[in-house]
Amino acid sequence: MKRRNEQRDLLPGTLEMLILETLRRGSLHGYAIAQSIQQTSEDVLQVEEGSLYPALQRLLREGWVVAAWGISARNRRVRTYKITLAGRKRLRREIAGFDRLLAGIGRVMRPVES
Amino acid sequence: MNLIRRWLARKGVDRDLAGEMAAHLEEKIEHLIEQGASEEEARATVHRQFGNVTLHEENSREAWGWSGVEQFVNDLQFGCRLLKKTPGFTLTALLTLALGIGASTAVFTLVDSVVLKPLAYRNSGELVAGWERVRVLSSDSMGPNPRHVDLWKERATVFAGLTLLRQGARGVALGAEHPRLVGSVTSEPNLFDVLQIRPLLGRTFRPEDGVAGRDNVAILSYPLWRSLFQGDPNVIGKTIRVAETPCEVIGVLPEGFRFPNANALRAFRSKQGISSVPEPALFLPTAIDANEFSWNGDYGNWIALGRLKPDVSIRQADAQLAPIETQVLAQMPASEGDRRPGALQAFVQPMQEAVVGDSKTGLWLLMAAVIGLMLIACLNLANAQLGRAVVRQREGALRSALGASRRRLLASALAENLVLAGAGGLAGIALATIALNLLRHYSPVDLPRLLEVHLNATVLAFSLALTLGSCIFFGMIPALKFMHSDPQTALQANNSRTIGSRQGHQLRTWLIGLQVFGCTVLLLLTGLFSKSLLHLLYQEKGFKTGHVAVAEVDLSHKTYGTDGSRVVFDNAVLRDLRAIPGVESAALVSSMPLEGESWIEELQRTDRPQQNTPLVNLRWISPGYFETIHEKLVAGRFFEERDRNLNSIVLSQGEARNLWPNGDALGGQVEVEGRKFTVIGVVADARTTSLKSAPAKMAYAHYKDRPPFATFFLARGKQSADLLLSSMRQAIWSQAPDVTIARVKTLDSQLTESLAPERFQTFVLIAFAAAAVLLAMLGIYGVLSYSVARRRQEIGVRMALGATRGQIFSLTLGEGGAPVFYGMASGLMVSLLAGRVVQKLLYGVRAVDAPVIATVAALFLAAALIAAFLPARRAASVDPMEALRAE
Repeated sequence: MKRRNEQRDLLPGTLEMLILETLRRGSLHGYAIAQSIQQTSEDVLQVEEGSLYPALQRLLREGWVVAAWGISARNRRVRTYKITLAGRKRLRREIAGFDRLLAGIGRVMRPVES
Repeated sequence: MNLIRRWLARKGVDRDLAGEMAAHLEEKIEHLIEQGASEEEARATVHRQFGNVTLHEENSREAWGWSGVEQFVNDLQFGCRLLKKTPGFTLTALLTLALGIGASTAVFTLVDSVVLKPLAYRNSGELVAGWERVRVLSSDSMGPNPRHVDLWKERATVFAGLTLLRQGARGVALGAEHPRLVGSVTSEPNLFDVLQIRPLLGRTFRPEDGVAGRDNVAILSYPLWRSLFQGDPNVIGKTIRVAETPCEVIGVLPEGFRFPNANALRAFRSKQGISSVPEPALFLPTAIDANEFSWNGDYGNWIALGRLKPDVSIRQADAQLAPIETQVLAQMPASEGDRRPGALQAFVQPMQEAVVGDSKTGLWLLMAAVIGLMLIACLNLANAQLGRAVVRQREGALRSALGASRRRLLASALAENLVLAGAGGLAGIALATIALNLLRHYSPVDLPRLLEVHLNATVLAFSLALTLGSCIFFGMIPALKFMHSDPQTALQANNSRTIGSRQGHQLRTWLIGLQVFGCTVLLLLTGLFSKSLLHLLYQEKGFKTGHVAVAEVDLSHKTYGTDGSRVVFDNAVLRDLRAIPGVESAALVSSMPLEGESWIEELQRTDRPQQNTPLVNLRWISPGYFETIHEKLVAGRFFEERDRNLNSIVLSQGEARNLWPNGDALGGQVEVEGRKFTVIGVVADARTTSLKSAPAKMAYAHYKDRPPFATFFLARGKQSADLLLSSMRQAIWSQAPDVTIARVKTLDSQLTESLAPERFQTFVLIAFAAAAVLLAMLGIYGVLSYSVARRRQEIGVRMALGATRGQIFSLTLGEGGAPVFYGMASGLMVSLLAGRVVQKLLYGVRAVDAPVIATVAALFLAAALIAAFLPARRAASVDPMEALRAE
């Protein structure tokens, strides 16, 4: 099975953060989440179903999102995920951590010439 | 809490996931179609991208963290299904395990209850028995002389309490009924203070209870109270008749109280016959006046039971007794024997050890045997599992090719075995419970503490460990094998021309070798014990037990206090016994045959007194005694009815030769107990005291000289002695209805009972060994036939290339021969060591016994040959054409 590079390069935990951010903007069902991430990242990030659903289950387990059955835009019965208050808190922490991480990586990759 | 809620929500999650994924697929397909793809294309693309839906579902479920449990349950279910598919194997395995675990649990329960568990007294570790060893008398320890114990009490500081007691049996009756015989303990009043026992009702003894005249009081055990008084709470103050003397009941002991019976806690700890002594149920007080006892005598009649002060060790106690014994020797009058240093020694022994005594070695032997058997059974199961694993190698390879981790494979293999072991363990514990119940009620052997035997937490922990251990043992080996199969080779190796995997087969061969090893050890021990038992049964006894019945009558001091009254009673009973139709002869003797040495006295020639006088067993007998048990006259004559001179004595040949090496004992004068006797006859040596030791030295006096209180009436019938039992009872009770008949039995059963431990050990070992041989045969057969089945093509090729059937036959035999040979050789070596350990339990056989070894080796080789014969013949009868074509 061939894997796309974009997928493999995601840092651990990043997918959860992306999902939470996506859901912060509005409640979505699984496929729409994947689509949203792909579109927003301009096709750089493609979310595989094999990763998406385990991640969603983890988020459910932690109580960061809740799910309910609803109707999709295409009039199909789908399960819609909604971010919770705890999820929002978590997201803020994740973003802060991610920013620090990015800054660190940035410093390594483009060191200030001394 | 959270976990439980999640677990309950589990089914919902599964449903949601499935629905959600389906919806996801549909959305995606629709999306692609919207983008212009054909439906077919879209469907294919989506499915390709999505991949394995089930796997995703599983991965998602894993996020919830219960998949471990779920997988385990799955594995268990899968295991059950697999087992169901092979009912033959499953049933055999279950039966093997149930029997193995059952037998081990039962035996371990015995070991635990009898040997390991502390006695049920408060701080029982402090309780000790005190013994003395008198050099000239015997190398065995004996019950101490009360006069010496009096000094221990006075001078030793290690004891918190010390009491003297003797055990016996008394006829007990309420009202007019025939007295029943109960075990009795007569002790100094402080017995219960030493044991630290409080009564259930009433009180225990006070010092004044021991005083003569005021000692007509008794304490009853709980069972005796229940059976005599039906548990009447107002029993205190009531009167029972003990040996025809009224006794006031002053106390009842608590339900759980047990006192070791006279066999368990006995003074003479030598190899003795056993007697069926009733459980002590009646406790009587006595005061001991040390001055009534001689300085050097009265050994073995009393037992000293003491409680050490806390933190006093056995060694400290012994160290304190040693100087006291030296003082005793110094104090002893010169006329009373050996006064040299070391002539007298005293020591204490933990009461537990004293009670358990010789049973220990036998029980541990049993334990070792049962564990060995269990091991052999497990090896067989491992072997069978290994066979299954090889068959399932492709399955394992397939599963690991599909991504199953090694851990998963191992877990699933173990789960199957856990199902087996769990079910087997449960069945085993159930079997053990049944077996122990049977044993408690119909014990073939007189084990100490038998009534305390029951399953408990320790035992259950043992069974659990055994179950898990066996599961891991016979499950792990095949599982490892299963796991290590390289998918590629295994999947390609459907070609049967290759000679199995070498490694797998070697493992099975090793297992066979181990089995043979265990089997050989077990067989050899069995051989030794069987030979020992046969020796005991068929050695020259010197007397005959067939057709003879014996009745023990205990005459009380109250009614039969005078010699005359006892002679009158004896004569009347003897006359009535001889009048029973079918009775050839009847007689009486003062001790039960085959119940060990007793009434041991010094006997010497009056004309040549010796320093170290030989000891003899004194017996008082009626005329007709030797004729009744068929002992042979060597010289002189036996007692006759017309004898009036009571100063005659009959000696056993060994004793006569000892005193008169030239053989002219007849007419000689001997002195016993300060009285002179004339030797009128010499009787051939016989093993009347015990079959397990050399014939004892005996001296027989006329019963009218000193009619015994405990009288043993013997009657020889023309037919089976069983027919005499009830008429003997009637004959005795017709003379005196309130006399205590302790027991009536045939001499044959007395002989059987005296060998009960040996019989029991031997029969258990034979059963174990037979099972082990059977298992080993099955193992050999299984391995060889499997190997033949796998190598069919190879054999075909060999034959096509010119191998003869004979060559193939011996090739196959040889394959089984190597492990059998190595196993037997190592087994024989180890059993030489094991034989030494059990030497104490063997009679007339040495630990290294060439005929036994040869028999065992031949027997086992024959068994192995039989097991190997069928597969070898099958190999030899392979049709090369057919075998090669079958590819």
